[in-house]
Amino acid sequence: MKVVFLSEKKKILYVQTSGVDTPERTFAPFILAATAAAMGMEATIYFLIKGVTVVKRGEADKIKLEGFPTLRQVMDQAVKTGLKLEVCEQSCLLLGLERGDFVDAAKIVGAATLNDRLLDADAVMCF
Amino acid sequence: MQETSCDAQEKEMPSNIKPDRVLDCTGLYCPEPVLRTRIELDNMVVGEVLQTLGDDPAAEEDIKSLVKRIGHELFELSREDDVLRFLIRKIK
Repeated sequence: MKVVFLSEKKKILYVQTSGVDTPERTFAPFILAATAAAMGMEATIYFLIKGVTVVKRGEADKIKLEGFPTLRQVMDQAVKTGLKLEVCEQSCLLLGLERGDFVDAAKIVGAATLNDRLLDADAVMCF
Repeated sequence: MQETSCDAQEKEMPSNIKPDRVLDCTGLYCPEPVLRTRIELDNMVVGEVLQTLGDDPAAEEDIKSLVKRIGHELFELSREDDVLRFLIRKIK
């Protein structure tokens, strides 16, 4: 009998560099992450560069594409599956945005964490 | 449960261990706390303890990741107001 421990879960990392100015690129990481959880994987989305705009509080509520729920609904559903959201706050500087004011689920992390997650992940996909 | 990349859990009551060196990174943002912690550790001898202080919220996971990757021991993490206090033992 093979015993599967929690730590043996496959890790998948999505790197979101696209922002709310390209709304069609913002849904896929959340949909994939929710699916990954259903498949027994541990999913994380790391937001940097323009990607940080996606997790600024209130922004996801404004994004609605035909045939899809709002990005907020998709995000909330994905977060409920245990998805981790990590955000590079320094990217705000690049974009001339105020620091902070991210959605509750987002954890502020930095460069060392991204390097660590990249090496730890079994697969990485960038949007 | 939040997965952590080191064994140190945040402590309510920090211990009274006296560090051999103190590195104040308050007011500095990513990647400065990580880079300065690395330089400080390089200048220490095995067994010494470094205390890094920082108020960049990114430093919490970043310092954990750094210390794990370079093979030292983050044995205590505490927080007072917004300032994180890392206690790191140089292992090798």
